[in-house]
Amino acid sequence: MTAVLARSRRRVLPLPGSLGAYAVRRLGLGVAQILVVAVVVFLLTDRLSGDAAVVIAGDDPDPAVIAALRTELGLDRPVWERLGAWLGGALTGDLGTSLITGRAVTAVIADGLPVTLLLAALTLVVLVPLSLALGMLAARREGGTADRVVTATTIGLYSLPEFALGVVLVTVFAVQLGWLPPTGIGVAEPAVFVLPIVVLLARPVCSLSRLVRAGLVDALAADHVAHARRLGFSPRAVLWRHALPGAVTPAVQQLARTTDWLIGGVVVVEAVFVLPGLGTALVDTITARDVPVVAGLALVLATGTVLLNLGADLLARVLTPVAS
Amino acid sequence: MRGRLLPGLVLLAVPLLVTVVGPLVAPAFSGRGVAFGSTGVFGGDFVGRDVLGQVLRGGASVVGVAVLATLVTYAVAVPLALLAATTARRAVDEAVMRPLDVVVAMPSMLLVLLLVPIVPGSALVVAAVVALINLPDVVRIVRATALAVAAGTTVEALRMQGEGRVRVGAYVLRSVRRVVLTDVGTRFTGALYLVASAAFLGVGLSADDPNWAVMVDANRDGLFVNPAATVVPALLIIALSVGANLTSDRLLGGAR
Repeated sequence: MTAVLARSRRRVLPLPGSLGAYAVRRLGLGVAQILVVAVVVFLLTDRLSGDAAVVIAGDDPDPAVIAALRTELGLDRPVWERLGAWLGGALTGDLGTSLITGRAVTAVIADGLPVTLLLAALTLVVLVPLSLALGMLAARREGGTADRVVTATTIGLYSLPEFALGVVLVTVFAVQLGWLPPTGIGVAEPAVFVLPIVVLLARPVCSLSRLVRAGLVDALAADHVAHARRLGFSPRAVLWRHALPGAVTPAVQQLARTTDWLIGGVVVVEAVFVLPGLGTALVDTITARDVPVVAGLALVLATGTVLLNLGADLLARVLTPVAS
Repeated sequence: MRGRLLPGLVLLAVPLLVTVVGPLVAPAFSGRGVAFGSTGVFGGDFVGRDVLGQVLRGGASVVGVAVLATLVTYAVAVPLALLAATTARRAVDEAVMRPLDVVVAMPSMLLVLLLVPIVPGSALVVAAVVALINLPDVVRIVRATALAVAAGTTVEALRMQGEGRVRVGAYVLRSVRRVVLTDVGTRFTGALYLVASAAFLGVGLSADDPNWAVMVDANRDGLFVNPAATVVPALLIIALSVGANLTSDRLLGGAR
């Protein structure tokens, strides 16, 4: 009953041609979501055992020194006061300064962003055509050899930890064969990104290509596709124009979920290949209890999540205007 | 479409066997040599311990925590989902489902990195955090299935007979059992992914703990000297993940 209700409501609310209105509404929701994530992260980082003063004091854990450091860093102020000050600054584009290094948080983000953006963008650029190709290959003849191989591989490799795959690939292609650099240390050539992107692709390709396959198998058996065939459209036109658009909607929606994996994957992959991106910065600053930097990085990651989600949802709406 | 069961089962059996039998025979491989030396079958690790001995001890904290996290997920998710699906009050349904949306909005790796270190060194905390991250998906799947059953004629008949909430709930639970079973493999590998990745990133465990994922991280520096110290534990994790996926698909996939 609830399912029926939800569906009819979805059909009524967005007026025809209101893609822009929908985008604006989703963007508003997204901004709220980003704020919630940033606040939660700020409070959580603050709750971690030990704080930046203890980390800076390091080998000299003299209580008096730590207390002085706390006063200097403003850590003796109540957490709500610091959160308020940080949020106020964030609205004007000032994310504060690192407690450890004193650098502006925006500078830390600017340092790591290019590497992470490049990794994510290259992964997405390869991911979509590769998943489509694998899904179409498998769906062309259901139960055939190609289908069995693709399906078994994508089921088996689903949610394989990136670091395990990463070190095995490094051992084969960097240590044994010497074809590719093992890490990003001291290397400034495109080859650095080959293994990280292969590793990042493994997880989303499995789920996306399976959804493309499932959608396409259904679509190819659907009445409207059979009708298009009877009308004499070429097999290629039937596949690309009639079967595919409707068939990939679940995969496009899954693309939104992929963002979450991509963020997790980027953190791990940057650690495996020692790449100086946002993920490395995040792990380092959490260890150092550097609250403003962690919150700033979370803000960037949450923004990325919201934007990619929005992109995927808009794409799904364009492909199937009725279903969304 | 069903493939063969054996390859997946073998892949799954190897790491499980090492986990269960390993700790019993590990004391025989406790020799110490130089860092990344060539003593023992797989050589030495970053402080010279026998890699074979560490591998034999390192399964429990990966497999055990992942299994525990999966169990906790279902123990919390199924009652919540049944409550949300069978309640007559919309407010209860909303009260269960909306907080889960907040969890979904948080990048899961960020949650792991922030929540696990709150109580350092506790496997229970790792399991709880991983369970929390997996919770929304399981609750949604079980709730959606239970909703269809709860709106069906059998439940209506049970209600008209005057059966209590417990009997009706038990019937709905039996009906969703199949969906839960099909889902178990995916949840386990999902939990394994997070548990292992967290250990690799160094949250929740110390670098000395015998743990396959920790070993991969700690021994990476010696990849050129003694690759076995890194690759053997990594391959065990891969075998576990791939084996669990293939086995659950072959064994339980027919229920779909």
